[in-house]
Amino acid sequence: MTMALPSGGLLAASDSNALKDFINLICEPHWFFIISCAGLGVFLAGYRTLTKPAVAWIALVVFTLAYVLSALDPDFRSIIVKPDNVPITIMMYLVGFFLWLAFRQAAVNDEKMASGRPLTEAGSDDKVLVWPDLVYIELIALVFCTVALMVWTVILRAPLEQPADPSVAPNPAKAPWYFLGLQELLVYFDPWIAGVLLPGLIVVGLIAIPYMDKNPRGNGYYTFVERRFAITTFMVGFVILWVVLIVFGTFLRGPNWNFFGPYEYWDPHRPAALVNINLAQIFWVQMLGRGIPTEGFAFIPHYVIRELPGIVILVFYFLVLPGILRRTVFNRMGNQMGAVRYHLMAQLFLWMAFVPIKMVLRWTLNFKYFVAITEFFLNF
Amino acid sequence: MATKELVTKVWIEDGCIVCDACETSSPTVFEVTDDTCIIRPEALSAEFTKPLTDSIVEAAEECPVDVIKFDTVAGEAPDAPAGAPADPAEASVEKAPAAAAAKPAPVVEAKAPEKKPAAAVAGDPDPAIQSLLRAATSRGGAAAILAPDEGSAPAVKALQSTPSKDLPPDARQARIMAGTKKASEEGGVSRRGVLAGSACGVGWLALGGTTAVSGLAFQRFMMPNVLEEPDPKVRVGPADVYSSMNPGEVNEETKPDGFWIIRNEGSIAALNIICTHLGCIPNWLPNDRKFKCPCHGSGFYPDGINFEGPAPRPLERFRIMLVDGIVTVDRSKKFQYEKGEWDNPDSYVEV
Repeated sequence: MTMALPSGGLLAASDSNALKDFINLICEPHWFFIISCAGLGVFLAGYRTLTKPAVAWIALVVFTLAYVLSALDPDFRSIIVKPDNVPITIMMYLVGFFLWLAFRQAAVNDEKMASGRPLTEAGSDDKVLVWPDLVYIELIALVFCTVALMVWTVILRAPLEQPADPSVAPNPAKAPWYFLGLQELLVYFDPWIAGVLLPGLIVVGLIAIPYMDKNPRGNGYYTFVERRFAITTFMVGFVILWVVLIVFGTFLRGPNWNFFGPYEYWDPHRPAALVNINLAQIFWVQMLGRGIPTEGFAFIPHYVIRELPGIVILVFYFLVLPGILRRTVFNRMGNQMGAVRYHLMAQLFLWMAFVPIKMVLRWTLNFKYFVAITEFFLNF
Repeated sequence: MATKELVTKVWIEDGCIVCDACETSSPTVFEVTDDTCIIRPEALSAEFTKPLTDSIVEAAEECPVDVIKFDTVAGEAPDAPAGAPADPAEASVEKAPAAAAAKPAPVVEAKAPEKKPAAAVAGDPDPAIQSLLRAATSRGGAAAILAPDEGSAPAVKALQSTPSKDLPPDARQARIMAGTKKASEEGGVSRRGVLAGSACGVGWLALGGTTAVSGLAFQRFMMPNVLEEPDPKVRVGPADVYSSMNPGEVNEETKPDGFWIIRNEGSIAALNIICTHLGCIPNWLPNDRKFKCPCHGSGFYPDGINFEGPAPRPLERFRIMLVDGIVTVDRSKKFQYEKGEWDNPDSYVEV
């Protein structure tokens, strides 16, 4: 592993190496994922404090400093200077900024609400004129975007490669940056689920939000305290399952689609043993100590018996769990929404939760499928 | 001979602009009312209009919107009904030009051929024509003409053998209608039905043909202009090159042809390089002794069995055989493990 040392002398060489090793360690996928989720949880729990301008400035400076220092590492730098990955840097800053902006206003409002003062939006006029207010803003935004894109196209060369060879695939072969999250899903789910069903559910679910969520709170003003569940769910879906997965695919996925730490050399020959196992294997072989069933029973084909534990788990997860949740955690919400809305929401919610569940199981247990009826491409 | 056309029927079509021109030319025939022009009732008979032929034609020519229409019958029309012999009218018509030619009368010389037949007809009605016209213009006239009974005039009876083109318009129309009605009553194929049906058929055929041809053109447009289809059979060298490999070893030299030659215990096989997950090209990692896909991380053992990553089934094998001691791979035939096809003797070559 080659390493360029920080020439600025901020950190001694050994310290810097130890720090890099530590960061590489916590960037193991499950740690990275858990830390991301924990970070989001801390942010949502302490948003009133953490969005104070002073804290936000400190966070911005610390992040930028860490990013710049990381760029001294040749492996990290080779990632971020790729023309393909320039949007990633922009994305991280923009997502951070807009998250702060929204939650800052929510924090201010929530404090006002707690002390009984009128909200920020209370005095403002409901109506804003399209002309000139909106059109001027749009014009200025248009000019800035055009200029930025032109400068970008002039400065950065298109990342063209040699002519395509049908017998050679780039290693790693990465999707465009905005699809890296979807490409990550393809590792854990069958193509028709990761490529068709889950993106379809994302789109349909986003469309369905206004029909499922009739709660008028939060309409027209920023708040978090009144819409904790809705905003938290959206934040998990957007920040964790979309943005973090893009960062994942950019910084942590290397040759052979193996995981690499951000400061780790992308060695295509690095051995990595990842033998997947299905739930049928765990249940029949490891727990019961017998072979996987290969014989059917009466009219039941053998693959149904083989996958019975997974089928039971999935039926419980998707069909029984919504009812249990309605009687416990989602009791109040279920009564407010009504049966149809509630069950629609529950299905979308459980599908969303299914993604990180399978990802974490894969990283920790090399778990592949709950139900693996490969005969019919029915793998969950 | 002169074939002076005589007006037998005059009528006004839609579009009269009430300009009074026709009434000025022929006041006994036309009457201009407040909003249109009508034919005076007495002018509805052929006997009345024939002598007025010149003024009616003049009125028709002068009409600025050309709505005045008239039927004419040739001056020798009395001839038409099957040559009823020695009609007086015929005689007079026939004779008139002759007389004009024979007797040079300086004063009327030029006009005589024109005027005389009209005058003769008007002044001396031909009974045959009269009976014919009476039958044709009265109510039910067409039927009377088409189906004459014993009491019908000889001229009417004679109409039966008259060609359609020589018939007066009413009779011609009635004959066509009667023929059509007869055909349709008999359940036969009418001329109109045949024409309409065939025109319709031709139209639909043309539409369908145009659609089909443009569809084919579109399909052709979607196809590549050059279709490179290399020979599915590839000769990859003598068998001893591969039999000398160790079991579990992979020969990558044939990767550009789309397969690896792998060495199993006692046999060699050709492994398709297309990943069974989403079609990327995996790499052979000699250190790990596995195929690893760079797109989503699918891993395969040296024999092609999937064991890591998302690939749902093993890599496919191609047909492989020995031809004159040369290992030949046929890429047009695949063998899938999950279907139990790797036991097929075509899927491997024993070495």
